[in-house]
Parts: sequence; structure tokens; C-alpha cells
Amino acid sequence: MSAGTSVAPEGMLAMDVVERSDNRMVLSMGPQHPSTHGVLQIMTEIEGETVTKASPEIGYLHTGIEKSAENLFWSQASTVIERMDYLSPLTNALCYYLAVEKLLGIDTQIPRRAQQIRVLMSELSRVASHCVWLGTGGIDLGALTGFFYAFDIRERVLDLYEMSGGARMHPNYIRIGGVAQDLPAGFLGQLDHFLKTYDERMHDLRALLQKNPILQDRMIDVGIIECEDAVAWGITGAALRATGIAYDVRKAYPYSGYEQYQFDVPTRTEGDAYARFLVRLDEMDESVRIIRQVRKHLDEPGAWQIPDTKFAPPPKETIALSMEALIHHFKLVSESFRVPPGDVYQAVEGPRGELGYYVVSNGDNRPWRVRTRPPSMYNLQILKKIALGELIADMVVMIGSLDPVFGEVDR
Amino acid sequence: MPSSQAPPAGHTASDPTAVRPDIADARIMRIRPAEVLDTMRALKREGFSMLLDIGGVDYLGREPDRFDVVYHLLKLPLTPATPEQVGAPERVRVLCSVPESDPTVPTVVALWPAADWAEREIYDLYGITFTGHPDMRRIQMPDDWEGHPLRKDYPLRGPARERTPRPSFALKSNVAAGTPASGKTAAALQRQIAQSRGRNEFHGAPDPAEAAQQAKHPGGTRTGGDAQPKELAERPVNLNQQQDGKQ
Repeated sequence: MSAGTSVAPEGMLAMDVVERSDNRMVLSMGPQHPSTHGVLQIMTEIEGETVTKASPEIGYLHTGIEKSAENLFWSQASTVIERMDYLSPLTNALCYYLAVEKLLGIDTQIPRRAQQIRVLMSELSRVASHCVWLGTGGIDLGALTGFFYAFDIRERVLDLYEMSGGARMHPNYIRIGGVAQDLPAGFLGQLDHFLKTYDERMHDLRALLQKNPILQDRMIDVGIIECEDAVAWGITGAALRATGIAYDVRKAYPYSGYEQYQFDVPTRTEGDAYARFLVRLDEMDESVRIIRQVRKHLDEPGAWQIPDTKFAPPPKETIALSMEALIHHFKLVSESFRVPPGDVYQAVEGPRGELGYYVVSNGDNRPWRVRTRPPSMYNLQILKKIALGELIADMVVMIGSLDPVFGEVDR
Repeated sequence: MPSSQAPPAGHTASDPTAVRPDIADARIMRIRPAEVLDTMRALKREGFSMLLDIGGVDYLGREPDRFDVVYHLLKLPLTPATPEQVGAPERVRVLCSVPESDPTVPTVVALWPAADWAEREIYDLYGITFTGHPDMRRIQMPDDWEGHPLRKDYPLRGPARERTPRPSFALKSNVAAGTPASGKTAAALQRQIAQSRGRNEFHGAPDPAEAAQQAKHPGGTRTGGDAQPKELAERPVNLNQQQDGKQ
């Protein structure tokens, strides 16, 4: 084959370029590479060990979730939406429901306890999600021990998910107008245990990883993102805050009562992989700080769902006794509720950055359009820029430090 | 606010954008494709430094502009800033109406590199081309895919599966409301119902073995599973009636 040509048709990926005249080589990384954290393919052009061009190819996990959501009832759509960012399903469901509640005009009526539980759950999600990033990111760099410590913390959170919603991965616990049920008996005890053990485990984790000279060598000054680039490329979340811009949706546009809690927005100014690593570690501590504040309020009982049975199902025990309740229950299950026409953009701070939902209703009982603003997709995109001139071995570090989740990138 | 249970009225059914001033989530602008570049340049000069997202919406039946391309912009500082300095940055949502006859929009990649994948995704899923884009390829679907899945007239299960006959049971339930039941589940359900009624005939999708049997014994009781949804209204609701009617 002649130099620099491919056998693939115009516009298709050239998979079989093996020989080039200019000492460069095209290497396909993924989509089955374990360090790509899912199914990412990166067509890299390398000269020696230096990356001269990197073009990530996504779409291997495209499941048409947005299309599915358009064909489900408003309340059913959250089941597929939770499967986008499968590492923090509750954040996705929360964002979607906040948008729907705004369209319904009930966003000011959500009971206090429901909001507290929502905050608790999204912060727990953040901790669990960052644990996966920390564990797998460590494995990428050969630090296998950290994985077990991180996943131990995550297991405790998944136990809490399981108690609250019945499932470990996709609890579907957050519902329209509140949550699915009150926190079950024994939940708070388990939560206290988690909070008690967290500090010590995090201390161990930091001792293992943060000051580890090998990790520092691999991460410091790798994949540097400048402030201006970060903004232009739409980077949000920890990757943006690692460049110094303290944009956090929880502070900027508080939702679910985040304005009541004391927490800091950790920032660094270096913008490299190590800065992102430190920001995320600090974020976990801030999340636990919020959880501790929420925990103080959770002892007093209260309503966990709006009383309006047009949207939230009536309590189970009333269904057999009240005709009204039975009718409402039947209507909710068989044709769900209608949402007044309108469009809304709602953002929350997900573990990966600004997670947004642009929801359009045309007045039907199904959403007309549910558009996700996937933070991982925009964060991942900058790989095209930051990988240039870096070593091919550092590509793994950069992907890990951007923390993409492919359920969300590809949807 | 209209009653939440009321059906949609008038033009809002096909254009529900910017009809809810009570939701003050962003400044909303509506433009034409020819104005995209000027508007975006002006907004960027105004300080909207981050392009958060570009999304597409298909308002099938809206004339003459079937599609919307929705830009979400955010005003962020370009230098390190504390949460107090960032404050609650201003948001703007730019809705660009795109006609079906000429679904092209100029690209904004030159202004925000973030637009690259977002525009490719809209091209892939809606078939709207962004002129001037450096790499206008499909991104989510395979390169040789036909059709644009997020268009409202693209069948939910895809054209290939849509051509396979549906069990009559699935057609009756709530296709009109938009939820086609999965063929397998519906067939299983129907088998169950038939069993519980003490009959062994099956109104499901043609199973190869069963089809062979049908060929041997023509005049069987199986009803057609490939009816079009438009026949729905005429279809009797009761399984027994339907069966009698066909015989």
C-alpha cells in the first residue's frame, strides 16, 4: 500500500494505515481498551511515542435514550434517563425531575424533607461516582490497592441506594414531587456508620495515592487545560475548577435548598491531571460535609412527596378506602399526568460537571423532547487538543482525569 | 397557568417554546439560520464565553420551520475566579428555526470548538447540516446508517424492526398513544391469555414453525399481525369478537 493512503471509502475511518512516509503511525486505541473507561476509540497518530493527532471516536454505546424518553410517560422516562450516567443515576433523575417540576409549576411546593433527601442522595452519588473514578484511575496508573479502598466506600453508598430505592445501580428513588418513599427504617443508622468510617478510609486513600511519588510523576504537568480553553471547549465540573474558575451550579443557581448548606468550591490553578485529581478528592470531602449537615435534619419526620395526587401517587393505604385515591392512582398508572406546554433548561452539578436537561412539553403526557447536556461529552472532547505533543502513555492519564462516562457521552 | 390536565391549545402544540414567562431560566432569542453567525459573534463579544450545549428539536408538522436548533450559552469569566466573582452567570438560549426544505445552519465551531461534536450529533440524529463544519460525519450512529433517528417520523424501533409484523394484541393496546409494545412481550402475554381461555391459537407475530403449520392447514384462526395502525379505530377491542369477525 502506498504511503498515507487508506482503503476505506471517503469519510470513513481508515483503520488500516500501516505505513507512512513521515515516520508517523496511526494507532487505534480502544474501543476495547480497559483504560478507556468504557467504549471509546481514539485514532491516534504518533511519531515515536509522541501523539501528533488524536481523534476520539464515540458512539459505540449509543442506545437512543433520548428517543426512548420521548416515547415514555413523564414519570417513566426517568428509568431510562438514570441509565445515562450510570455512575450517578440519581443526579440525572434529579435534574430531569427538577425540569419537569418547573414545567408543572410545582417546583416551589416540594416538601423540605424531600429536598433534604434529594440533596443527600445527590451528594452520596457524587462520592460514589468519584470513588469509581479514583479507583479505576489508580488502576490505570498501576496503583491497584487504591481501587479496593475506593470501592469499599462506594459499596457502602450502594448499600444505602439499595435500602432507599431497592436497587444498587438504578434505584429510581427520586420521583416527581419528591422521592419514592420515606427513608426506610435502619437507613439513618447505616448512614451514620458510613459517615463515621468515611474520614478514616479517605485518610487511608489519600495516604495511598495523593503523595504517591509515582502517581505524582505521572500526573503533574500532564494534560494541562488553560482557563480560556476550558471555557471555549465547554468544560465544566472538576476539570474547569482545576483551572481556577470556581463555577459550581450548586453555588451559582442553587436548587433543592443547596443555599442552606455550608460548603466550599475546591479549586486549583494548575489545570493539569494532578489538579483535577486533587479537586475531586476535595470535592468528596465537601460532599460529606454537606451530607453531615443534611443528616442533622433527617431525624424529624415530614412529608417526602407533594400531597397533590394528580402528580404523585396517593399513599398505598388510601387506595383501598378512597374512591378518589383509586381514580388518581389508576389515572397515573394508565395515562400519567399531562404537563403544560413550555420549554425549560435545568442544570445541576453532576459529578462530571454541569448536567443539563432541556425539556420541551407540548401538553401531552409524554415529553416532546428531552435533551441532555452531557458534561462528559464536552469534557472528553478537549482530548483532541490536550493530547497533542504528549506521550502516548499519558493518554491513559488524561482520559482518566477527564472522567468520562460513556453511557452519558453516547446516550 | 393553564390547568395542567388541559389539552394543549392552538399554536403551542407545535411550538411550545418561550410560552412560559413564569420559568425565567434564561434569556430567550429566536433567530433564522442566516442570522446565526452574527448573533453568536455579538453574544460572544457580549461575554457569553461558554457554549454549553447545542440541541435539536423536531416539531413535526410545524410550518414552514420544522426544526429548532437550540444553543445554550453561559457568561463565564476567562480567568481564575472565586465563587463570589462567578456569581450566578447569565444564561441565554438561542432558538434557531430551520426549515425542512433546506436544513442547513452555519457552523459556530470557529467561535467555540465545543460545537464540534454537538453539531455532528445534530447532523447525525436530525439530518441538519452545518455548513463550514470541518468534519461533518455521523457521530453516534454507524457511518452507513440510513435515516436520522431523532426525527419524529423515524420509527421508534427502527425501520427494520418496524417492517416485521406486530402482534394484533400489541396494536390494540396503546399504539395510538405512542408506546408500541415489544413484540416478544406482547406475544408472550397473548399466549398466556389464550391459554387461560382454554384455546391454543395464537394471534402473535408469525413464528416460522407456526407459519409452516398454517400453510399445511389453511383457514386457521390466526389473525393478521401486520395490520397498519390506521386500522386501529376499526379494530374490535374484544379478542373474541375480533376472531369471530375475521372468520
